[in-house]
This record gives sequence, C-alpha cells and structure tokens, in this order.
Amino acid sequence: MTPVFTVDPRSGVPLYLQLIEQVKRAVALGTLIPGEQLPTVKALALDLTINPNTVARVYRELERDGVIETSPGRGSFVRPNGEPGARRTADDVAERSFAEAVREARALGLQRPDVEALIGRLLDRWYPLADEEPKT
Amino acid sequence: MMIAIQHLTKRYGSQAAVSGLDLEIERGSICGLLGPNGSGKTTTFKCLLGFTRPDSGTLLIDGKPLEPATFERLSYVPERSALYDWMTAAQHVELQRRSFRRFDAARARELLEIFRLDPNKKTKRLSKGQQTAVALVLAFSIRPDVLVLDEPASGLDPIFQRVVMDLMIDAAANGATILFSSHQITQVERAADHVAILRQGKVVLDGVVDSLKSDEKIVEAIFDDAVPPVDGLAHDVRVRRLERSGRILRAYVRTDSDAIARQVEDLHPRSVSVLDLNLEDIFLGAVGPDNRVEPFGEIR
Repeated sequence: MTPVFTVDPRSGVPLYLQLIEQVKRAVALGTLIPGEQLPTVKALALDLTINPNTVARVYRELERDGVIETSPGRGSFVRPNGEPGARRTADDVAERSFAEAVREARALGLQRPDVEALIGRLLDRWYPLADEEPKT
Repeated sequence: MMIAIQHLTKRYGSQAAVSGLDLEIERGSICGLLGPNGSGKTTTFKCLLGFTRPDSGTLLIDGKPLEPATFERLSYVPERSALYDWMTAAQHVELQRRSFRRFDAARARELLEIFRLDPNKKTKRLSKGQQTAVALVLAFSIRPDVLVLDEPASGLDPIFQRVVMDLMIDAAANGATILFSSHQITQVERAADHVAILRQGKVVLDGVVDSLKSDEKIVEAIFDDAVPPVDGLAHDVRVRRLERSGRILRAYVRTDSDAIARQVEDLHPRSVSVLDLNLEDIFLGAVGPDNRVEPFGEIR
C-alpha cells in the first residue's frame, strides 16, 4: 500500500521540495521498501490535487538522487540498493532537520560554542553512552 | 510553446485594458492567472480566443494564429454563463455532440453525474454554480488540447472546486494546456505549475510557482540600535523592496536570498533570518503596496 503523502500548498516551501522530503522520509523509515512501486505521476497528482508537472519533477529529482528508478512503460520503483542507499537517504532527511535547527539557533544569536554545548546535551540525552542511564 | 501572447494591447476608448502583455505557456502546463479586478485577465482571454480584436500584438496557439480548426480542440468557459436560458443541460450536451467531432458521450454523462446535474432542468432554473458546472461539462466533454477557463470555480462549493482542479489536473496529465484565472490563490498553488500575475494590463511577475517560492524571500535583520545605512542593498537589483523601521530591516528579495543575508550580516545585526513567502505574499508584493486597499473579490 502506498504511504499517505500530504503537502501544504499554502506553505512558502515549494511543493516539489515538500514531496521529495516525504518520499525520502518514507524510504528512510521503511514505509516504502526497496523494489516497491510508486504511483504514476497522474495518480499521485490527482491523489494530492497538485500539478502533474510538479510530481514529474519530484520523480526526476528522486531518480537523480538515486532514491527511485523509472523504467519506461513499467513505472517508478524504490531502488533496490539495500542498506547503503537507505542510510544515505536517512542522512539526507536528518541533515535537513539539523540544518533548519542550526539556522534557527544562528538567527537567535547563539554562538558556535553555545550550539555545540546544546547539541552535546541532546546527544547525551538521546544517545547515552553504554555505562550511563538515559536522562529524562 | 502551446500558447504565445506577445505584446498584446487592447484599448477601450482611451482606457487600455491590456497594455503590452507577454505570456508564454508550454504544452501540458497549467497556468494560473492572478490579478486584481480590472487588471486585464478577461480581455486577454477574449483577445486570445478571437472574440475581440486587439489593437496590437501577436497571439499564437501551437505556433499559429487562431484558425477555425483550432476551435475543434479548444474549450472556453467564460466568467459569465454563455448558456441558453431555455435549454436543458441534456440539450446543451446534444449541441456539443453535433458541433465537435472530438465529443465523448460517455465522458459527458460521467461529468454530468460528477457535478450531480439534472440533465432535464432548463438553464434558467439552475443556480449560478450549477450553470458553471454545465459549462465545465461541455468544456471537458470534447477532450480539448487547449482550455481557457475564466474563474472556473466561481459559485461552486468547496467540493466541486476540488473537482474542477482534479479535472484540470487530469486533462494536463493527458497533455492538455490550460490557462485559467482565479481569485483563489490556493487553487493556483495546487493546480498550476505556472503563475502569471497581472497588474494594470501587464504581466508583472511570471514563472514556475515552485521556483518563485524558492527565489522570493524576506531577509529580516534585527539590530541592537537603529538600522545602519543600507545604500548598497537599496540599489541591488535582487532586492524588490526595502523596509526599515526602528531596529528592523526587511528586504524583499527576488532571488539569491542567501547572498543577500550574508551581505546583511556584514552590517552586524543582532540576528538575521530568511523567511519563506507563500503565493499570496508574493502576489500582494507584486501588485504593489498601494494596491492593497483595492477590493480583491474572493481572495481568501
């Protein structure tokens, strides 16, 4: 079953970026698995009520990024390149979130050492070292 | 290029309804036309379809000036109903069947059902929205290559507005080229890949919706004291407009927001942020601050 994608056309973030992000996320989370078929451009455009050229652009860019492959006449599929590919996609998705957070920290006037300390605290909380108890 | 409008000018008396308008729409594209009332949208459509003679300019569909054969594969839905008051929807469909070789009877029946229209009701007994729906049934039943729709969703409830967008999306996915006007910016954000913003008979901003959203940004800087002089930015072609008030500087940027943000950082503000703009923000920016008090009709 195709995962549910949702886009917000009223956002200032271009629709094609929103959709690329969601497909990558679905692949990284395993909602979409390697070899799985994606809807056709027309079907997804109608499903989301967005322009077909926008969806076509999403598929082109996902293909360029190595997330999906399209064979003429058969359709688009999540690339069956296993762990390394999924890892890279997860990195992509996470990097965008981090970039957003770092930009925000900078806009708020935090200096580099402040940000490093902040990230250190978060890492301690979510990735505790083996001999430590998770902090709450 | 499926539709090319080059330097179109149309005057009514001494008043120019359209003055030097340029617009090109690619095959398979949906172009949304936005503009305040009286900005020239309907006049542009009428010129494009040959209903009124332009004073100057070139209009090409598929590379050729309008010719009778083009009407075989073109549908137009005018702003105001062009239906016969005394005819039923079924009779209008029958007229369409006789007039167009490409008429698809099964599609027409399907469309009448989608819009929940009673085929045997006369036009004069239909609501404005239902009349628009009949016009849309006729327009899409000939499976046209080119569609020109003047406010196709006006008078329709939100469910049927969504249906109209789906019909446009379906037609474009099958290769049709569509030009439509709307006061509902979200419809353009959804259905259109291309947007053209009109003001006083000219296209003031034109491009791929997603590219405009990538390019057009606000760079906002907050200073500890008053904003320092920003002459360099004021003359930068990438900056559409500059607002300074007290400690806040706001640059409305056409493109290259990251470079502008770095330039602003050199002024040592307390903070700098790059803000996204949606199409409504971009539209209001393009039609100008002095136009903001104009009544925009149905804008959400």
